[in-house]
Amino acid sequence: MQLATRYTKDHRLNPQLLWWVVILFAIALAIIPTGLFQADWVNPGGLPLLGRFFSASLHPELSLTFLQLTLNATIITLAFAVCGTALSVGLGLIGGILSAEICWTTLFPHQSWVRSLVMAIQAALSIPRAIHELIWGLFWVNLLGLDPLVGILAIAIPYGAIVAKVFSEILDETPRQALISLTSSGVAPAMAWLYSLIPQALPNLISYSFYRFECALRSAAVLGIIGAGGLGYEIFLSLQSLRYEQLWTFFYALIALNGIVDLTSALVRHRIGAPTRLTLNLAKAPVSPIDASITRSPSPPLDRGLLSLILVGIVLVPFCFWQVGADMSQLGSGQILVRLQDMGAQVFPIQLSRETLTPLFGLSLQTLAMSILAIAGAGIGGIFLSFLAARNFLAPGGLLHPVSHQPKQRATKLWAWGIAVLTRLGLLVCRAIPAPIWALVLLFILFPGILPGAIALGIHNLGILGRLLAEEVENLDPSPLRALNAQGIAAPLVCLYGVLPLCLARFLAYILYRWEVCLRETVVVGLVGAGGLGRLLTEQLSSFDYSGIMVSLSCFIGLTVAVDLISGLMRRSLR
Amino acid sequence: MPKSKPWDVTLAKSNSPTATPTSTVGTPPLPVFELHQVGQRFGSLTALSTLNLRIYPGERVALVGASGAGKSTLLKLLNGTLMPTEGNVWALGHCLQRLPARQLRRVQRQIGTVYQQLHLVNSLRVVHNVNAGQLGRWPFWKAAASLIYPLEVQTAAQALTQVGIPEKLYARTDQLSGGQQQRVALARVLVQDPAIILADEPISSLDPELSRGTMDLLRDLARDLGKTLVVSLHAVEFARSHCDRLIGLRHGRIVFDLPAAQISDQQLAALYQPRLA
Repeated sequence: MQLATRYTKDHRLNPQLLWWVVILFAIALAIIPTGLFQADWVNPGGLPLLGRFFSASLHPELSLTFLQLTLNATIITLAFAVCGTALSVGLGLIGGILSAEICWTTLFPHQSWVRSLVMAIQAALSIPRAIHELIWGLFWVNLLGLDPLVGILAIAIPYGAIVAKVFSEILDETPRQALISLTSSGVAPAMAWLYSLIPQALPNLISYSFYRFECALRSAAVLGIIGAGGLGYEIFLSLQSLRYEQLWTFFYALIALNGIVDLTSALVRHRIGAPTRLTLNLAKAPVSPIDASITRSPSPPLDRGLLSLILVGIVLVPFCFWQVGADMSQLGSGQILVRLQDMGAQVFPIQLSRETLTPLFGLSLQTLAMSILAIAGAGIGGIFLSFLAARNFLAPGGLLHPVSHQPKQRATKLWAWGIAVLTRLGLLVCRAIPAPIWALVLLFILFPGILPGAIALGIHNLGILGRLLAEEVENLDPSPLRALNAQGIAAPLVCLYGVLPLCLARFLAYILYRWEVCLRETVVVGLVGAGGLGRLLTEQLSSFDYSGIMVSLSCFIGLTVAVDLISGLMRRSLR
Repeated sequence: MPKSKPWDVTLAKSNSPTATPTSTVGTPPLPVFELHQVGQRFGSLTALSTLNLRIYPGERVALVGASGAGKSTLLKLLNGTLMPTEGNVWALGHCLQRLPARQLRRVQRQIGTVYQQLHLVNSLRVVHNVNAGQLGRWPFWKAAASLIYPLEVQTAAQALTQVGIPEKLYARTDQLSGGQQQRVALARVLVQDPAIILADEPISSLDPELSRGTMDLLRDLARDLGKTLVVSLHAVEFARSHCDRLIGLRHGRIVFDLPAAQISDQQLAALYQPRLA
């Protein structure tokens, strides 16, 4: 008896519960700097403007010349995304292979220095990754002037580093026995890779590249705002000049473009039978083999699909480079080096005084608060909407009603489909519109500060999270739910005892990943004055204050590393 | 099937301790494997200790012993995936630890290994997995081109016919049954055409019928093509019926090393007895 009570007592206070307390506390603390309880934060005077803005959505500008302009802008945004993705996947492949432990162990077996070399390479790659593409964009603008190359490089460099990290993880987590069996029969390393590791990892590599493409499209829209052209630029102009009818035409084009790209990417991934984004990021999390066999039919041989992918790439990538018209020769010219030297000379002496460092601390806290609020909102909303958006949740025969005996099946099916499609559309709108544009819209009715920034970031990330979590729900193993349902348990309880526990750990892990991204993205809303380090950085970049940039960038990178560490710690203990 | 060639690795006579023949009665064949005072530790765990062993061309050797006796470790030492922590391993006249990577690969091409978990690439078609046996001879461009348009299909088809599944040439490997995948792994070794075949518990996951088929195939290969076979087995009855020499391992040491006919049931039973406290 005594033993039993002690047993339960010990287990009631687990580290998970502690983390939940920390999370709630952090959210509460993050609300303080928004000034939500102290001052007026709503500007009722902006309501008529907001009304005008929304009513314009019903009658967008549709004249032929304007549609032509929209089409051109759309193609440019797409072209930037394609070029950026192509370059970053190329860079990432090289970087990923070089920073994969397996690469060095196949080349130099039985060597002990390999581990430290790999760690050094990975550490070096983490610096370009920590800096948001917008900062890269502003940096390249300073270096190259307003050239299309800026937009491509701004995407390619941070993305290349991210792709390298993920590719190296994929390669290192691919089972090695097939490779070893080849090298042990005397096959040279390059060929052994070609016949084992590469084909084994290829579905994951392709799948991740397509995810990157989706992200690159969103980045291309944001970079448009700083002058790279395309839809982002046009949207920003129309918003500044209060032409809401034109604005909505561009919005619809951007939403359609995002929808098409996301859909294509999902189709490709489904065809090659690649795992979801979550399993890519959490390669060590258990994936039940059952759900793979149930939800996926045996995929067709990779080589035919691969060949057509390569063909499309051969046509599309050069076309996009031509469309963008980037002048690659600039990179080879000596001028860049001269300007870089010039920049470097201005960095020093770095001024570290109490006057410069104290505001940095405050701004760091603001940035942190903004990211926490944004991810909290996006996470809660994302979990809720992901169920509505998942095709297999509400529908009869889905997760909630695995065994359906309803007579009016057809009507419920239609209803469930309707909700799923509408939710997906809503999520698409959320993620297609860049966060700074959301922030500008919010500034109609909110006073500037970190609150509109946090909300804008939250809305944008809600769109991304909701879709990815929905994919996760769709890949859920339905058998435990069938068992619960067979006991005659009502749908809400099935949800509570089956669906939520099955998903929650993975959802949380993904939300924490997204938090890391959110922190980097605070820069984006800083651009339109939402505050935090991002605002300071964009101001310093446009006033060429390189010494100040160095200090605030270091501070930002430090913050990024700290958040990555905390998030990693939480993911491990919440698993 | 390419015809069995003599080893393209020249035997470096000065390296091997048996290189200078001590007996005056003819010249004894040089051993394909020679282990001298070999020990293998993994941290504080001793997997093998003070092993001395010679295996001669054309022999069919079975390694028997309980799980953890060191059979797999010994096979890994023989094909050069593992370097011993003590002593020396000679294969085809070369001391494996002393070879630079390129020359090690040349020796390894003469050693084909069939693994317990097969280690095939599931997402590739059967033909590519079989062709992987040719990679030691192919230049890189040919290997790459073959992944898009399969080359030397005839060789792969012939090997698959030999193992009894010619119709699976273009099937995806993960759509095959376990027994069929086992045959693909054997076909790869056939195509590699090594002088020595190592097999790590090749029948541990097969039913009795398939086990017999696989063991027959390995025995016939060794007998008809004059290859040396070293196979680790749990099933002692197959060891006795299909091999001509049995090496018993227990706690990382050789307990017996005798012709198959001379092994007594007691000796086999003793192998599997738990260690006395």
